[in-house]
Amino acid sequence: MGPLFTATDEWSFVIALVIGIAFGFILESAGFSSSRKLAGVFYGYDFVVLQVFFTAAITAAIGLLFFEYFGWLDLSAIWINKFYIGSAILGGGIMGIGFIIGGFCPGTSACASAVGKIDAMLFLGGFIVGVILFDAFFPFYKGFYKANNMGGALIYEDLGMGKYTFLLLFVIVALASFIATAYIQKRVSKKSEKY
Amino acid sequence: MSDTRIIKKRYIFMAFVFVGLALLLVLLPEKQISKQIKPEKLLQEINDNTRYFSTDDVAAKIIESDLFIQPIDVRTPEEFKKFHLKRAINIPLDSILNKDEKGNFEYANILNQEVKSNVLYSNGTIYSNQAWLLLRRLNFKNNYVMEGGLNKWIETIIRPQKPPVTASQNELDKYSFRKAASMFFGGGSVNVASSESSAPAPIIKKKAMKEEEGGC
Repeated sequence: MGPLFTATDEWSFVIALVIGIAFGFILESAGFSSSRKLAGVFYGYDFVVLQVFFTAAITAAIGLLFFEYFGWLDLSAIWINKFYIGSAILGGGIMGIGFIIGGFCPGTSACASAVGKIDAMLFLGGFIVGVILFDAFFPFYKGFYKANNMGGALIYEDLGMGKYTFLLLFVIVALASFIATAYIQKRVSKKSEKY
Repeated sequence: MSDTRIIKKRYIFMAFVFVGLALLLVLLPEKQISKQIKPEKLLQEINDNTRYFSTDDVAAKIIESDLFIQPIDVRTPEEFKKFHLKRAINIPLDSILNKDEKGNFEYANILNQEVKSNVLYSNGTIYSNQAWLLLRRLNFKNNYVMEGGLNKWIETIIRPQKPPVTASQNELDKYSFRKAASMFFGGGSVNVASSESSAPAPIIKKKAMKEEEGGC
């Protein structure tokens, strides 16, 4: 089984478009086009974003490993982005700051723009300007950007444990985080009720 | 009130499903998953030409000191000693699949790359393609072949031919790059014998090489 389409196939663009639309539709249905909901994780009054993404991650992980186990999917054929540790940390920080200032991440800003939110359109505009500037000044930070390439790193390999054991731990951590965030959310909303 | 209870029950049920499925994967008997590449995929990769790096690309990357490229000479150590590309390492074709005492491939950490791109080369492309095929069969990643091998390297980089006056700008640009590269690698107007500092001079003669390779 698979791949249904190869990377060189002209159909891959169509598939990407269909998956992109489906992804945007689900983001919008989950309420992720609201910057208040997205910022809620930072302020502690709404953890839906964390819960949705964590659930998506464990569902996908369990699904992929079962598919591999039954021989329906060749996991080695899945491309894993190269891990540049320095740029990942710096980029993650910049992304986090941008997220909390703007109230969106790139995907959700496109999604919110599609439903007519003006703040999201401005965010998307800024995002495009940022991409152009990043490209224009790339030679200046190319060295840092490409330094410390750790390849397609896999966390369970680096931790020296089996992937199934890691998955089980990951599921337990996810569920524990759901309980913890529900508790925080309850306390924060109680506090805000007081004022 | 009853609503929240139902939701909570659902959540608890889903939590058990997730943990149960993950636990099942841990407890299931281990299954040997073949690490070798699927025949259809190998065939597809043989037929497309994405494995080739042109001599111009290799030259440009060596000149730029791009550390993400690793030239690998698959010829014999004697041939390697006579001439090799700058920064190249020698892993002869006949020892490419050597195993250590534990039964692991001796060169796996070099040849199965996550970080660098290996560019295999020989005098022509027969041996480098054979090496590539052996490595791809084992699903080793990031291995490429230098198109035309050292024969083409000499032809295009060390002794580039001047294009006719009527040639396109593209070709003229390519020629000026090759001329500059030729100076860098010690070919062209510079005495061939006083080649690059790290590598001995390119003393391989084109004709002799073609004979060795069986006309590839």
